[in-house]
Amino acid sequence: MITPRVCGICSHSHVNATILAIEDCYKNLGIDLKLTNKAKYIRELVLNAEKIQNHIKWFYFLILPELFKINKAKFAQTEAFKDKEWFEAQNALSSILKMGAIFSGQWPHGSYAMSGGVTCDPLESDILNAKNYLFEVKEFCEERLYGCSIDEFLELDNIFDLIDGNSTLDLAVTFMKESGFDKIGKSYDRFISFGDHKGVNEPVKALKTRLFKTDIKFVEESLKNSFFDSSEKGFTYSKSAVYKDKFYEVGPLARLMISKDPMIRDCHRRCTDSVITRIIARVKEIAMLLKRSENILENIDIGEKSLTAPKYMPKDISSQGVGVVEAARGTLIHKIWVEEGKIVKFDIIPPTVWNLGNGTPLNPAIAQKAIIGLSSIEEADFVFKSFDICSVCTTQ
Amino acid sequence: MSNFHPKKTIVWIQGITCNGDSHSFFNYSSMKSFANNFEIIYHPLLLTDYNLEEILTSRDKYDYLIIEGSFTKVRDYVDRCGYSFEELVENLSKRVDYIICAGTCASFGGIFRERDKINITGGLFSGDKEGGYWSKNKKVINIPGCPIHPRWLVDTLLILKDEKKLLLDEFLRPKEVFSYFVHHGCLRNEYFEWKIDTKNFGEKEGCLFYEQGCRGPMTHANCNKILWNEVSSKTRAGSPCLGCTEPDFPRTSVYETKTRMSLPAVPYGISKRAYYTVTGVAKSFRVDRLEQKLIEEKR
Repeated sequence: MITPRVCGICSHSHVNATILAIEDCYKNLGIDLKLTNKAKYIRELVLNAEKIQNHIKWFYFLILPELFKINKAKFAQTEAFKDKEWFEAQNALSSILKMGAIFSGQWPHGSYAMSGGVTCDPLESDILNAKNYLFEVKEFCEERLYGCSIDEFLELDNIFDLIDGNSTLDLAVTFMKESGFDKIGKSYDRFISFGDHKGVNEPVKALKTRLFKTDIKFVEESLKNSFFDSSEKGFTYSKSAVYKDKFYEVGPLARLMISKDPMIRDCHRRCTDSVITRIIARVKEIAMLLKRSENILENIDIGEKSLTAPKYMPKDISSQGVGVVEAARGTLIHKIWVEEGKIVKFDIIPPTVWNLGNGTPLNPAIAQKAIIGLSSIEEADFVFKSFDICSVCTTQ
Repeated sequence: MSNFHPKKTIVWIQGITCNGDSHSFFNYSSMKSFANNFEIIYHPLLLTDYNLEEILTSRDKYDYLIIEGSFTKVRDYVDRCGYSFEELVENLSKRVDYIICAGTCASFGGIFRERDKINITGGLFSGDKEGGYWSKNKKVINIPGCPIHPRWLVDTLLILKDEKKLLLDEFLRPKEVFSYFVHHGCLRNEYFEWKIDTKNFGEKEGCLFYEQGCRGPMTHANCNKILWNEVSSKTRAGSPCLGCTEPDFPRTSVYETKTRMSLPAVPYGISKRAYYTVTGVAKSFRVDRLEQKLIEEKR
């Protein structure tokens, strides 16, 4: 109940991370909860809805308004509360959340998952209803955002091939290229992701395009330079997530670099880890998540059990566990320590502390490195927004 | 800054918050109609025509101040662009007709109040006790909920705009919404009547009140009347109501029903004698249909 309230835009990622951490406690005691595919599918659908919503909201509420500030004529069709396409985008994000809410009861702040499965028990007609909402969002993305079908878009291995000026993504990409956004916002070109996404189900880090096996036990939370460490010497409320003492970028760009996505790898070859690659990666993930959700809705077997677990945590167990979720902005980790059935310690490492962090001029963190040397506050602001730095993530 | 706005004007500010009420509002399903009636002059998550500084230094009057998140006078807890939360509230609350405390945090202190019950409160309440940030303020309307339902907010704004009658309950909540209970419209009502508990989570059958801690019968809100995201609700998705619109949210020991001498708490406004008598009678019968799955595979 508590953890969804950590964040109003990623509440269901937090539910999932907590439940995975509790299930890991069981696993560490040798108890396998044997989730059904149905339960796994429903958890993923609910998460996908939250991520698609996040991505659409970020692009239409944050990125396009920034471009609009620079060129009012070009991006006039997307002004908030005024223009047709903005209303369409708002409708799309609320529709995809309807798809999720069929299974989660509500968004935000549902409590749809329990150890061992999910609480809902949908009918075939619920699945059909979910498909209808998904269809609506797909249609919006095809007509407005991509200017081609989702399948065609996913086939492309060169985003710049697509550009014929017909879609909002075209417009944004062309404009950003002309404005030199392929040269700004570069960071360490170092990525990390902990799995559960297309083709990669294990922790992997990437140094540019080379991949390396990774283990979550080397992830640490650093309090350096923060007020938590020292109220006199600290200068930030942001903690940092580091892997073997190094900063790594998380999020859609990291996920797609690691899963060797042809379009993003191609974009990276031309523009490395610049703002433009980061933005294209996140917009591309919308199409992937829509496709994946469509597959889930086709394959879900409602005849399976929703939940197969003991109802409550046995009062006398002592254990610890880790839950990892790839949330919209990147890797989210919940760690839980349980003694005699009570949670004695709980630690959360959200995506923004990977990307924002508490670096110093000599050793800047990911987003800090990406803004050093820029020519204006406006440019820096835009680069910050490309990571979608989240204040709620930071202050949790 | 121009003082003329043809639509009713809204300034939205945040105290200690997870942003959930804003994101819930962004789900509103008739946003064009909303935009036709209201203009958001400032919202921290949107790129508005004016920034916070400009709003605070202007002398314009606005119609509605929407406050999301818990209230605090401690400067270390909230700093918005160099302003304390108190500075924001003092500056703006005098220049508006109504103050809407949006969500449980702004209404009663909510989940953040657990950290510091003295310095983190709601606008006019601290939990269920009167006296929060203010001891009195006649402009305040509370719309609790963790999160707020977009319709609770926009319907209230529309009623105010059209100068229709807006009745409020003892916690200053609009009666249109909060005279209902989450229990009303719950699909598990028949199981409640015959006192049949759900065997486990993840099933359509059975009531969540007797063992899973559902607060539906004592929580004021029309969740199961208007539904969430227009499609569902916690209880329809098999999760117990957590009582998130009430001043005592968040409660401890959720997902279990506290009993006294094996009797659960009584639904709001019903005497113990009446309720336990009816319970005893209902329990003494076995209703075969309700013991079976809702949809049996074999006929």
